[in-house]
Amino acid sequence: MSASAALSPDAQGSAARVSRTKKPRASKVRVQHKGAILAFVLPFGILFGLFYLVPIGYAVYESLLVIKREGTFGAATEVFGGFTQYILVFQNGPFWQSIGRVLMFGVVQVPVMLGLALLFALLLDSPLLRGKRFFRLAFFVPYAVPGVIAAIMWGYLYSPNLSPFRAVTENINFLSADLVLWSIANVVTWVYVGYNMLIIYSALLAIPTELYEAARLDGAGQLRIAWSVKIPLIMPAIVLTAIFSIIGTLQLLAEPQVFRSFSSAVTSTFTPNLTVYSTSSIPNFNLAAAFSVVLALATFILSFTFLKFTQRKETT
Amino acid sequence: MHMKRRAVAVALLTAATVALTGCATASSPDGTASADACAPSTGKVDLTFTTWIPGVEETVAVWNKANPDIQVKVQTGPNGNGGTYQNFFNQLKAGNAPDLGQIEYDALPNFRVQDGLTNLAACDGVLDAKSDFVDWTWGQVNFGEDKSVYAIPQDAGPMAMFYRADLFKANNIAIPTTWAEFATAAEQVRATGGYITNFSQSDINQFAGFVWQAGGEWFKNDGDNWTVDLTDPTTTKVAAYWQDLIDRDLVSTNPPWTDEWNNAYNSGSNWTWNSAAWGANSIASGAPDTAGKWAVAQSPQWKAGDKASGNWGGSSTAVFKGSKHPYEAAKFALWLNTSDEALTMLNKSANLYPAAKSGLELPALKAGVPFYGDQAIYDEFAIASAQVSPNFVWGPTMTQTYNDVSDGFKAAVSGKGTLSEALKVGQTNTIAAMTAQSIPVNK
Repeated sequence: MSASAALSPDAQGSAARVSRTKKPRASKVRVQHKGAILAFVLPFGILFGLFYLVPIGYAVYESLLVIKREGTFGAATEVFGGFTQYILVFQNGPFWQSIGRVLMFGVVQVPVMLGLALLFALLLDSPLLRGKRFFRLAFFVPYAVPGVIAAIMWGYLYSPNLSPFRAVTENINFLSADLVLWSIANVVTWVYVGYNMLIIYSALLAIPTELYEAARLDGAGQLRIAWSVKIPLIMPAIVLTAIFSIIGTLQLLAEPQVFRSFSSAVTSTFTPNLTVYSTSSIPNFNLAAAFSVVLALATFILSFTFLKFTQRKETT
Repeated sequence: MHMKRRAVAVALLTAATVALTGCATASSPDGTASADACAPSTGKVDLTFTTWIPGVEETVAVWNKANPDIQVKVQTGPNGNGGTYQNFFNQLKAGNAPDLGQIEYDALPNFRVQDGLTNLAACDGVLDAKSDFVDWTWGQVNFGEDKSVYAIPQDAGPMAMFYRADLFKANNIAIPTTWAEFATAAEQVRATGGYITNFSQSDINQFAGFVWQAGGEWFKNDGDNWTVDLTDPTTTKVAAYWQDLIDRDLVSTNPPWTDEWNNAYNSGSNWTWNSAAWGANSIASGAPDTAGKWAVAQSPQWKAGDKASGNWGGSSTAVFKGSKHPYEAAKFALWLNTSDEALTMLNKSANLYPAAKSGLELPALKAGVPFYGDQAIYDEFAIASAQVSPNFVWGPTMTQTYNDVSDGFKAAVSGKGTLSEALKVGQTNTIAAMTAQSIPVNK
């Protein structure tokens, strides 16, 4: 469902284009089948409301409450506290450090991952490569491994005494405070390169072959075609994967959580979502809700800014 | 890109929020010690019991067979801080907690302050059971109040020292009886290539056990205010001691409860473990290749000739707020934790060391244990159990305290900061966490 949210600006654009061209017919159809439309929309609407709007609304509501109690074991009552929890959020050093940490992670990891994904997609699409089917599958297989399993597996590979590559891990501690963030980045990259490659690759397949023919007639080689024809045409797909990646980065949870048992350097507030998780296990649900709302807003602002930025670049 | 992970996160959050949506701000008008009503139910009663004791199902089956009218269904989960407490808190907020749950002593104040526990004092036979249990364990469940019983003690974790008898003998190193000797022995062990022990960066309750043994007290509750004292001279002394061993690379610092950690014991590179009675099970399962080579001695003392022990862990069986059958639940909890039959079975399946006095006399706890070279190891724990100070009080936000101190300890073993600094941060954050929930605390 959040995928649809991230998709929406793009989807809206194309939907707007479609409705503009087919407007008269569409409105006629709508009048005729109101019941049917309702029947199709209702299941989505109900689930969307129940599992998306209501929980978000509840989180916002919880974040506005504070707890009052009398005595050392006094029973708690929740009362309206305005923005008290949000003030605590903005005063919370570890939370903002964790945001800074995942931003640093994103700035390095997302371009590396998408660069690799683009490279692999272009290679798969080029006539130079043999065994395309095999490579397409091979690149995609890590994504079929559940994220937690992948993290456990890499945890063992990094482990100084249990790794099959002890010659390396005994000398370089991949789980140390300096390196563990990048060790996690490596796991995330390993898992998601194939997935992003597939999105970009399918966009490449949608390019009409006449364009390549024309480019070749103009004397362009494979590299030139890739750079001047393919990449500009698949830019929307790359932007889409970038937005997914930005959102995913801010929401890192499973990998660092698994790495907590392998590494001394992963704290209970390593990523924003881990902070939310450990706050809710105090349990301080109100503060955890406020963290979540702030994190969601930060994610939204960042994705939206990125989208605006790239769109403006496209139009110029 | 991170679709799968996001899907998982979204599913988790949705599940959590749906659970939360069912919440009601249910709370009794006052939190003082007034026993909840406790009358028997009519007809057949079904109880749910969430626990992480290995093999508890067999013990409960015995109860179910003998009590057709009180049927108990067991749900197992990860250990408390590994996820079960979080589930309990969520379930309590959603109003669908199980009838009974396993809660370690250190988490009881946390559950009480969240109004999650039923005061069982009015239930049949519960107040009378006081004399059946080791004193300090009863102190943990009644919070020092005469008319309160918030859980039935189950097991205790008096601490002693597990050590590799064969290695100490072969290398001619004396078994340390004081912490000073322990440090000397640590140097000798290091000279052979091994480590005397592993300093556990995330078992803050083990460190608390060391402080407990040394006579420190982390929390006080005078009825009006909590006092937090993670930085008292005793705690600082214990922290400085271990910091020194870490600095001199005399103890290993593997993350506990991992394969890496097991491997260090299994391969003979770690020689001792100051742990609780239930730890006997952990070594036997984690280091199977070392069978027969271990022995148990009393923990090293701070002053030669002293007789003090700490405690690490130990659980109680609590009845959650909202249970419709506290009478039956209390009856089951008493049977589970006082009957010879249940205690014998639990000791066999999980090496549980009973909190009930009668349990300490069980034949199963008098016999020699083959893994420990046929030593009657529970005799050592019985001595330790009697030496545990009854004054140690746990705070009302231990999950948070553990998290914060553990973050600092982890940094300290990686060479950033010290254990004492971590405890200072823990002190500040604990007070902040209590203030955030308007729990009265002295600043």
